[in-house]
Amino acid sequence: MNLLKTPSFLIGMGLFLSTICIALLFPLFYNLDITTRAGVPYMAPSAGHWLGTDHLGVDMVSLLVSGLRSSLYVGFLAGIIATLLGTLLGVYAGFKGGWIDDIITLITNLFLVIPTFVVLILISSSLKEGRSLALIAFIIGATTWTWSARAVRAQASSLKSRDHIALARVNGFGTFGIVTMHILPYLLSYVFMVFILQTATGILSEACISMIGLGPYDSVSLGTILNEAMRNEALTDGAWWAFIPATILITVIVFAFYVINTSMEGVFNPRLRK
Amino acid sequence: MDTLRFLKRFLAGLACILLVGCGKGSKETSKPAAGGDTEFPRALTLYLAGFQWGEPNTFNPLSDWPAFPVGGNFNLMYEPLMAFNTLTGDMEPLLARSFDKTSEYVSVTMDPRATWSDGQKVTASDVRFTYEIGQLFKNAPTAFVWDYISKITVDTITDSTANSLVEKITFLINKDRNNPLVVMDFLQNVRIVPRHYLEPMLEAQGGDLSALQKLKIDQNPVVSGPYNLLRYSGEKIVLKRRDDYWGNAALRGNRLPKPQYIIHPIYKSNDHFSIALQQGNLDVSSTFIPRIWMKAKDGVRTWYSKEPFFVPAAMTMFMINVTHYPLSDKNFRRAMAAAINYTDVRELAFSLYSPGLKPGLILPFGMEERYFSAEDAQKYGVSYDPELAKKILSDAGYTSEWDESGALKGMKNAKGEQVPTVFIKSPAGWTDWEAIVKIAVKSMRAAGIDVREGFVDAGIYWQSMPSGDFDLLLHAPNPSVTPSQPWSRLEAVMSSRNWKPQGEKMNENQGRYNNPKSKEYNPAVDKLLKQIPATADETQKKELYRALNAIFMQDQPTLPLVYRPEQFYEFSVANWKNFPSEENPYAPPQSPCFGAGTKALWEIESTNK
Amino acid sequence: MLKRHPTLHYILTRAGWYFLTFLVAVTINFFLPRMGPSNPIDIIMAKVGSGLDTKAAKEKEEAYLKEFGLVELDNGGAILRDESGNPVRTPGWKQFRNYILMSLQGDLGTSFLNYPKKVTEIIKQAVPWTLALQFPTIMLGWIIGNILGALAAYRRGVFDRLFFPMALLLSAIPFFAFGMLLVYQFGIEWRVFPAIGGYAGNLIPSLNWSFIGSALYHYILPFLSIFLILAGGQAIGMRSMCIYELGTDYVKYAKWLGINENRVLFYMFRNAMLPQLTGLALSLGGMIGGALITEMIFSYPGLGMAVLTAIQGNDYPLIQGCTLLITVSVLLANFTVDILIGFFDPRVKAGQKGK
Repeated sequence: MNLLKTPSFLIGMGLFLSTICIALLFPLFYNLDITTRAGVPYMAPSAGHWLGTDHLGVDMVSLLVSGLRSSLYVGFLAGIIATLLGTLLGVYAGFKGGWIDDIITLITNLFLVIPTFVVLILISSSLKEGRSLALIAFIIGATTWTWSARAVRAQASSLKSRDHIALARVNGFGTFGIVTMHILPYLLSYVFMVFILQTATGILSEACISMIGLGPYDSVSLGTILNEAMRNEALTDGAWWAFIPATILITVIVFAFYVINTSMEGVFNPRLRK
Repeated sequence: MDTLRFLKRFLAGLACILLVGCGKGSKETSKPAAGGDTEFPRALTLYLAGFQWGEPNTFNPLSDWPAFPVGGNFNLMYEPLMAFNTLTGDMEPLLARSFDKTSEYVSVTMDPRATWSDGQKVTASDVRFTYEIGQLFKNAPTAFVWDYISKITVDTITDSTANSLVEKITFLINKDRNNPLVVMDFLQNVRIVPRHYLEPMLEAQGGDLSALQKLKIDQNPVVSGPYNLLRYSGEKIVLKRRDDYWGNAALRGNRLPKPQYIIHPIYKSNDHFSIALQQGNLDVSSTFIPRIWMKAKDGVRTWYSKEPFFVPAAMTMFMINVTHYPLSDKNFRRAMAAAINYTDVRELAFSLYSPGLKPGLILPFGMEERYFSAEDAQKYGVSYDPELAKKILSDAGYTSEWDESGALKGMKNAKGEQVPTVFIKSPAGWTDWEAIVKIAVKSMRAAGIDVREGFVDAGIYWQSMPSGDFDLLLHAPNPSVTPSQPWSRLEAVMSSRNWKPQGEKMNENQGRYNNPKSKEYNPAVDKLLKQIPATADETQKKELYRALNAIFMQDQPTLPLVYRPEQFYEFSVANWKNFPSEENPYAPPQSPCFGAGTKALWEIESTNK
Repeated sequence: MLKRHPTLHYILTRAGWYFLTFLVAVTINFFLPRMGPSNPIDIIMAKVGSGLDTKAAKEKEEAYLKEFGLVELDNGGAILRDESGNPVRTPGWKQFRNYILMSLQGDLGTSFLNYPKKVTEIIKQAVPWTLALQFPTIMLGWIIGNILGALAAYRRGVFDRLFFPMALLLSAIPFFAFGMLLVYQFGIEWRVFPAIGGYAGNLIPSLNWSFIGSALYHYILPFLSIFLILAGGQAIGMRSMCIYELGTDYVKYAKWLGINENRVLFYMFRNAMLPQLTGLALSLGGMIGGALITEMIFSYPGLGMAVLTAIQGNDYPLIQGCTLLITVSVLLANFTVDILIGFFDPRVKAGQKGK
């Protein structure tokens, strides 16, 4: 495919796959221990601990890899939920138009308006297990789908007036048939790009939420690492290893997603490639 | 193109208007007093922080939680009768010159020189008003004092030395509670308010205290203290020195306090205190700053220049709900006490800010040292000893089950039943407390005790405490240093006076220890708690404290974890010098706005011109 | 006149739907915090009740319940009790009714945690700072980002090759981490900019140059932490849209026809900007939420921290007040953009006409 020949796609994919490798394969070679006190608090990087320790003396590398796994998990789960919701609603609204469109826009606006934090605290206080990674992913997905709904709706509504749709109608296809056979295929590539961006948003949102202090109770994520670094004054004490590697990881993953997205845009929109 | 350009210009203009508008808007929010000072020279301004979180809500001294410095034990605007020096244990004179304590009453002699900022004298009438308003209204801040005093009488007597008339106020002790210690507490923390100023306001509200409590009283209030409120906003509270403060002449040798202004900045994140201290923008702070020895090169100092840096005065502990199985088993609790790695807690979670933990509820140093029995601690108490913990568990019939990787799976009791997992409740997001819980869980699980973290949102935490909805709860009961310590700490942990089952609210002994209706009820506990405050004889008091502490160590109703200071007293010598410290202990280790520490304001010197 | 009609119709229908959204949102925002298990009074009691014994604490608690309108009162003003002696709580619908009645009179209630401060007071004092930080930053980031993106699309070449990956990388950095790094590097290590606060600690807000100067000086780091990343993101989006438009048939045709280049660019810009406007609406709507972290990192004055504390402490009136603010700003921003798109995008109008 053209895609595989695009250098930017390869770079993006490469970055992304390496982070996945770290997340999945690293634990096989390295003992991830996020509870044992391995040294002095905020010990500098050394041969035994490549990225030093955190405020409790726990090995930073273990924390980073565990955090990476959690953040990726949240990002993907949130991305899937958001993309599914957004695509379904967006396609339906864009294609049908009329008052169905207006109602769905109303729902979209409602979700835009309800503050994420209120819902997050509310639901997590009601559940016995409190805030888990899955709950956070679910709430991020349920509050960020508005973006993909709008994007997909715009695409679907522009497709609506295309000729082959009119032809399909004339030929007697029902709404569902038109949507599945004539609209979705055109949208698939678009939806995939939307999914990538939603996942990136999911990872950034999780970091944001954990940073405020509303992160998962019992798990380590890249966001909670940043939060702990901030509250324990890591940077002002010179312990850059508690803060910067996590930031770099988040940036690299999100950057990889953006690059993949751009390269796909280039392929599906040949004019962009020039 | 034109539309676009126009749009851009319009929006840019809007932005400028907003910027300017914010300046204007904020001008209104920061309420200037008449003659508003706007310049605060560094050599005349003391910056201290840590006592005000969030926007100042009200400065009404009759409100339940007013902003700094009206609430709490700040003696800057309103003053109590006396000040308690937490280092020496002395009651120092303030509005009252001296006190006298018997088993029937506590009396104070007013200082006739005390005046309010509008020139009127501070008299016993003001004291009466302050206390008696608690009799009239159930929601007044002094309502609860009437459980401990029954009557206030005022006599005018002749003072021999000054050859003048002085007022003597006698607080008759309420014989039901019979607790002169708590009455002593009142003397040093109930702030006296001006009757001639507030009583007419109360009448103007139709005698409705709730309506009066809604007033902010933030415009040139009538105060008796050395400073008065100048202005405030969501970012800072500014106080200005009162040069006509009566205590300058009467108590401080005719001197003025050195800072003309005291500014309390309001930060939004704990690390900002540390940054401000290091950059010389903050002079005194009272927040938990980890690894404070690393900031010494920037001029940050503490009371001690080495471990434990701060003067310990209270205990952080796990409250145990003893009605939940297996916490109802004394042996289980004792095993837990032996399984916690207190050294790790001290070093990792608390940055070495505590001396080593000893068993019991009485502090083995400072003013409580005389009540501490090292011999009893050795005999009845347990320290970190995982082997002992395992032995206690197995002797009591518990077996711990481990999986292949060496992790704990669960516990079974003597009958072979599965023992439920014990959860430790603590607010999520309080990182130093989270660290304590994680360390405790880790060391307890290593000894075979099935315990887990149960972090919850702060709202749920505060709710669970009085209702008893917890297994273990991290808490520091009664952390202030007052004349009634250590009794009040023991009372807060062990008293069954208001015992209620889980679900109803209790404000002390939230672990429901010593249920009076159960057959294991030990009447000695409540008896000792009742006797101690009523005992004046020191030798007898020591015996009683010793007996009570021994019961605590044997029953282990809570798990003390680490000592903590009353305040994290840290200061910067970049702009002011001569703060009280170990080498210079002329005042207790408190921020110079608090209690007896206020006198430091007259002693510190600016290093700027 | 007839030409005006469809536009007016469009505006009115959109306004109608937005108003409906507003009503539903206000209702949801009222009931949502109350559905949680934690009780705001408990948090107040934690502050107030230490040192009180159980009986005194109970009396205080009931006084607050009465004050906040959370319990039913009888005709004499005393608390109604049920058989076991506990106070009868006011049902949700009654609280809602009281809330609506009070709000229509302009009284948004009294904050629980900041008692006795009124909600309107708290919001009035804090919002100007939040707006001052967010609004110019978002607008400037949007405008400059779009200009740079369009430039990159038009010029291509070296500028584009350098600029594009840089912008992409910049927009991938989480803005709060970036903010903290800025504070650390420029505020602490190098001491070039202030690390904390909205203005110098010894100044009072007033209309003089020393205050404005200090405020602007303190503005720079927070501004940069949001602006750079936002501009990066906008630039990338705009660049894609412009490249797409540059290759469309109508542009090629117009160029071939010899129409003035600037005219062509104008139309291209206008079409490319439409999706960007939607993004702007989303950003502006999320102003108050986004301000929260920036405020925390820089101790910047504003509404953010008050909102978070309110949410964690279940301070119903303040939560309602803030969510009302957020609702109004988000809906207003979206409504404005909808109208603007309606003017700029002929396809939308055509779609409307077709009904």
